[in-house]
Amino acid sequence: MARPIQLAVAAAQLALNHGKVDKKKLDPARFGVEFGAGLIASELPELADAAAVSVNGQKGVVDLVTWGDKGLPTIQPLWMLKYLPNMPACHISILHDAQGPNNSVTESDASSLLALGEAYRILQRNGADFFLVGGCESKINPLSMVRQVLFEQLSRRNESPEKACRPFDVHRDGMVLGEGAGVLVIEDFEHARQRGATILAEMVGFGAAFDRRLDGAGLARACEAALRRAGIGPDDLDHVSAHGLGTHKEDIWEAQGLSQVIGTQVPVIAVKGAIGNLGAASGAVELAFSVFGLQQGTMPATINHDRTDPACPISVHTGTPHRVNKPFALKVAYTHTGQCAAVVVRRWE
Amino acid sequence: MRRRVVITGMGAITPLGHSAKDMMDAQLAGVSGVGPISHFDARRFPTTFAAQVKEFDLARHISNPERWAHSGLNSRFAAAAAKQALTHAGLLDESRIDRTRFGVYLGSGEGVQDFHNMLWQLYRSYNPQTRHLDIPTFTRGALDCFHPGREAEQELHTTAGHLAAYYALEGPNFNCLTACAASSQAIGEATDMIRQGDADLMLAGGAHSMIHPFGVTGFNLLTALSTRREEPTRASRPFDLQRDGFVLGEGAGMVVLEELDHARRRGAEILAEMTGYGSTADAYRVTDSHEDGRGAIACIRGALADSELAREQIDYINAHGTSTKVNDSVETLAIKKVFGERAYQIPVSSSKSMLGHLIAAAGVVELITCVEVLHRGWVPPTINYETPDSECDLDYVPNTPRQHRVRHALSNSFGFGGQNISLIVSKFEG
Repeated sequence: MARPIQLAVAAAQLALNHGKVDKKKLDPARFGVEFGAGLIASELPELADAAAVSVNGQKGVVDLVTWGDKGLPTIQPLWMLKYLPNMPACHISILHDAQGPNNSVTESDASSLLALGEAYRILQRNGADFFLVGGCESKINPLSMVRQVLFEQLSRRNESPEKACRPFDVHRDGMVLGEGAGVLVIEDFEHARQRGATILAEMVGFGAAFDRRLDGAGLARACEAALRRAGIGPDDLDHVSAHGLGTHKEDIWEAQGLSQVIGTQVPVIAVKGAIGNLGAASGAVELAFSVFGLQQGTMPATINHDRTDPACPISVHTGTPHRVNKPFALKVAYTHTGQCAAVVVRRWE
Repeated sequence: MRRRVVITGMGAITPLGHSAKDMMDAQLAGVSGVGPISHFDARRFPTTFAAQVKEFDLARHISNPERWAHSGLNSRFAAAAAKQALTHAGLLDESRIDRTRFGVYLGSGEGVQDFHNMLWQLYRSYNPQTRHLDIPTFTRGALDCFHPGREAEQELHTTAGHLAAYYALEGPNFNCLTACAASSQAIGEATDMIRQGDADLMLAGGAHSMIHPFGVTGFNLLTALSTRREEPTRASRPFDLQRDGFVLGEGAGMVVLEELDHARRRGAEILAEMTGYGSTADAYRVTDSHEDGRGAIACIRGALADSELAREQIDYINAHGTSTKVNDSVETLAIKKVFGERAYQIPVSSSKSMLGHLIAAAGVVELITCVEVLHRGWVPPTINYETPDSECDLDYVPNTPRQHRVRHALSNSFGFGGQNISLIVSKFEG
């Protein structure tokens, strides 16, 4: 298994443990898996011998005849299966006998929130009772790092890495890669009640939209749809967990989109300041912060945020942990292309 | 009552033609789209042939193809197929609809990794004697020679993003990549999104090309591809005893899904109704389907239950039918298990015998085939069917098309890794 798949498999087990799930009592046909995933980079050593025999020294050209004769046979037979983006959900379904709906949403940093929205919709149509929903990603490898550097999105604050990811801060200079996986157990309320589960939060709203002009209008529509579905207004929100990449352009349009819906006063927290960008895993992992926050009464503040960029008309919560005083949290995610997702959760009482 | 979902537009770029109509005409003529690979020098690969899209030029489909200059074939095929589907539905530049209620759900594959430069950099940084790979050498070299635009286009969300941005589809935007089931799953979930009110219109489908050195290498290593090098057009032979693997295809298919009342209000031509969707997982093995067809059976039954049709009402099955040993026998078993004795009366054909396997895009072009079957009253054949296999004993419409009235058609798609999808599409009858 490639590293993102290992992370996913581990997180799924942790979620089942935490939810005290007795798998023997689950109906496999009603047990689904919805995952957010991205491209999984090939591990370079696996192709090195093939490259060594097939490149004849001519710059940038592989001799495909030699590759076919001598290169290809040096690669291990299941090579491709190690890297298919549906493999995290697939391995989890096999390990836990989840025979219900199984999907892998591949929408970059919005993947796991969109996967969560889909699981929520499948539960609404009575297509399953129980889901493992999450995401996984690791771009901290040579091939993925090269590509991210070429996209010119990464911070270069190499002298103080822990201060490099600075969401909405006036001195931000790019995002910081993180890696990991997050998995949430999502189930129908009656199903949870019958198995005596400890309920952590209720998912009450979801919205998705496309931000065509990258000006925040699409993000605002996704948030409005999620709030409408939840039947609440912005004043009911305890906090918003932003995407908060820490890049110059994206933080501005995100803040502008959010402010169209929540105004300038609702506390905004950006978890990435502390953990970096977990990519396809980011939505699920960051939502877990809000679920714990609502449950325990405090939410970690945004770190590395000293002065809000005047172009970002929102109230970023920094300093001491945020004291929870309202029952709802809004979590958003988006891609740099414009795919947007928003989820509303309610503290369980 | 739940909202009903109809198809009001279709587009296809395939190895058998650059429109849904041309693709269907070719299938009804029993034409094979398979031939020697020309995208790259595949002479010394175990498999030397595939079903390529012929003479494709995006500029013939859209006036400003520059946007896709660095894209892989996946996104370029998608742009053309989407244009056809939107034009067909009368929605390309339609300003009287709310485009924030028009979403995108694709099951689109990845772009193409820069095979030559990546291996060139590996070669430069690797010492085969010591087996040491010098990472700084690799990264410095790769930073110099990888093209940022082409690298970005490999990302899995770019195709759906391009279509939304270019065609002003500002509703929910999804892409799923569940191997060979992807575009069917996209259509199923997009249908549900309209049913549940998340959107009124969805552009759904998929696009993929794995006919590149890494793709063919990967499938050859898995021994999944046919190696019948001496007669490529006869290599894809679903359900035939002599089948030895699938044949790679490439292309894109798109459908416009629309809420029925929305379609009626604007006077749209209704092509068919989406009536059933089933989705399950085998939860068995990464490489093989469950030998009893467990997931496939539950999936077909799920689609039937969703459609509220009796199993006797299914008139035609467009099989997943890959031409691999395991798929074709397990799929046959599953069809018999679900339909009982009546399984022998239902024509079952595999478009892959002619189109090859479009991987993520396979499901949508096969669903489009089913819609054409509803309209034309002709069922496409399974070509290259010569020697019966005792494990595959259904009516596969061998080698010649058949006139057959169809009201309800079932399309199956089963993915590597165990995702199973079944869709039922029905003649629209008010």
